[in-house]
Amino acid sequence: MRRHAPPSRKSAYAFSLMPVLRYLRDAAVFAPCYIALDWASYIDPVGPFNITPWNPQAALALAWMLLGGLQHVPAVMATIFLADLVVRGAPGGWAITALTATVLGGGYAWIAWLLRSLLRDLGLRSLRELTVFAGVVAGGTAIVGAAFVGLLRGADLLGATPIPAAVLRFWIGDAVGILVTAPLLLAAADAGRRAGLAALARRPETLLQTAALAFIVWLIFEGLGGDPAHHFYLLFVPLIWIAVRGGMNGAIVATALVQLGVVAGIHRSGATALPVLELQALVAALTLTGLFLGLMVDERERAAADLRESLRLAAAGEMAGAIAHEVMQPLTALGNYGRSALLYLERGEAAPLPGIVGKMLAEQERAAEVVRRLRDFFRAGTTRLEPLTVEALMAAARRIGEQVIGERRIALALRSEPGLPDLYVDRLQVELVLRNLIANAAEALDPRAGDSRIEVAAARNDAASVRVVVADNGPGVPQTARGRLFEPFVSGKPTGMGLGLAVSRAIAEAHGGALEAPSAGHGEFHLVLPCVHAS
Amino acid sequence: MRARELTVFVVDDDASVRDSLALMLSLSGYRSALFADAEAFLAAWQREWAGCVLADLRLPGKSGIELQAELRAKGSRLPFVIITAHGDVATARAAFQAEAVDFLEKPFDHAQVRAAIENAFSRENLRLRRSAEAARLESLTAREREVLEHAAQGLHAKEIAARLGISPRTVEVHKTRIMEKLGVRNVAELVRFALAAGPGSSR
Repeated sequence: MRRHAPPSRKSAYAFSLMPVLRYLRDAAVFAPCYIALDWASYIDPVGPFNITPWNPQAALALAWMLLGGLQHVPAVMATIFLADLVVRGAPGGWAITALTATVLGGGYAWIAWLLRSLLRDLGLRSLRELTVFAGVVAGGTAIVGAAFVGLLRGADLLGATPIPAAVLRFWIGDAVGILVTAPLLLAAADAGRRAGLAALARRPETLLQTAALAFIVWLIFEGLGGDPAHHFYLLFVPLIWIAVRGGMNGAIVATALVQLGVVAGIHRSGATALPVLELQALVAALTLTGLFLGLMVDERERAAADLRESLRLAAAGEMAGAIAHEVMQPLTALGNYGRSALLYLERGEAAPLPGIVGKMLAEQERAAEVVRRLRDFFRAGTTRLEPLTVEALMAAARRIGEQVIGERRIALALRSEPGLPDLYVDRLQVELVLRNLIANAAEALDPRAGDSRIEVAAARNDAASVRVVVADNGPGVPQTARGRLFEPFVSGKPTGMGLGLAVSRAIAEAHGGALEAPSAGHGEFHLVLPCVHAS
Repeated sequence: MRARELTVFVVDDDASVRDSLALMLSLSGYRSALFADAEAFLAAWQREWAGCVLADLRLPGKSGIELQAELRAKGSRLPFVIITAHGDVATARAAFQAEAVDFLEKPFDHAQVRAAIENAFSRENLRLRRSAEAARLESLTAREREVLEHAAQGLHAKEIAARLGISPRTVEVHKTRIMEKLGVRNVAELVRFALAAGPGSSR
């Protein structure tokens, strides 16, 4: 029965002990944090059992079970028991405290279980996930609150507080605590969100936003005087600003800051002087607004990024198809020359062979050149939009034009309207388009003609774009070729790739711009490129 | 049958492909003529050209298929082999709808090209024989054609003479002249020719 032989004693020992040690270590971190949070948020307690209107520690328990698993339930229950003992002095006695700890711990565990089974990912990245999260938290805490208050009522520990008021208080406290704090904890555990938060922290705008938030909290509690709840609506302004600019990450941090500000305000003024419950309900409304708005902003940005990516892939696909076509030409010639060489050998004629092999080598170099071009495109093919001044674009046009024209007698003129806004483009790709257009123009010009000119001119197209016109004084595109001008593989040149214009148009459109060939008596192409948005 | 008088007309915009193809074809015993685009071919085309056209589908200006359509409109029956460097279903279908004999995908091998050319040439030979026969039939007189039709039905000189109301001797003279004109050696060949030439004018 060798197969069933037990593992060696040492490894069995290690296997059984390690999870236990890890469990204890996690619990040893969790419990003090939970108790500290419970203590810090112990404001405006009501009734002998001290129901508070802000319970961020519930979020800590929930997040721990969401991330770590439901095996933490016993530790959570024990911690709640301990916290009640430390923070409130176990007003109901040990038995009742044990019972309430079991109900609360079990309730949070049930919420965690629901969320774990309903959410595929704890990053709260889709409308569905955020809705499920908010709905389960709101509904779950209401049920847990009812059970908790019912238990207190049964033990006659509710004092003078009416049952509905006690349930409402518990519900708002837990729901706000979880809605504000749990997204922050889940974000801290999510690598993608951590990176997003770090990027936000580096933005200068964030400092301004935080200052605005702090100023308005001060206005509400101090500056304006009177009931802070009356002026609470002012907070929606910076929150919307933050959510629109920073998305969900911004909203998560902003709502947590608002909650801290409100708690600080309550501490300063004294809880009895303020409608604490109302303020917390307002915080809940603000939080839900911020989170959903932030999510919408994120989803819109993601959709825009997806669109850009698929356009880029379309351009790359066009290029790949064109390159495949291009590489077949030298391969076909190579095959034909190779076969011809064999036929000469079969006849015993060796004299023509060096010539044929020379041609084969030339074709091999031509095939390699096509592949190099493909590689260059894909190197430039990752669209990286960045601001680019029109001057820089014109400088690139001059450099490219001089390269393309070389020794030929073609005059190159560059013009740009003064005061044009910066472009928002991928520099390498736009240079590729310019190179195509300028090379086309140069090839369209008759080398024997005396007065050959190429002109590159930039002018404003509309508020959001600039129009770059590449014109030559050659004969222009023949009317017959006009219809198929932008199709791949259609070339007017004996050595043409037939793809320059197709790829150039794909690139222009991937930028949200356009490439047009208006009917003119001479060669003329219009490239429309987007500008940096005036914000 | 290797017909030395047949030519392979290559229409491809790629100079290296043209050059290498011409070399390979000449070493394989084919005569070839090269054109960079459809317009050059159309400008040079003459009615008596025989052989087949190897045309790239994508050409600057008119495509290979457009070239074929234009030649058909001018009355040419030259068989076409369409070549393409990206053989997708749509282009293959377009080629066959335009009645191309074959469809070659670049890079092609020697055997494929030869098979396509031989296929096109056998059609061309059939076509040339048919048109030569038709021309020879044209040279017969009305009386000779009548005699030929009766002979094709297997009738003897006497029977033909009775039907046409002429002497058997005259029928024999006509038959000899018909065989001379059509270039056949005996009556069996004469019958085969008459059948191949299709339905007679009197039927």
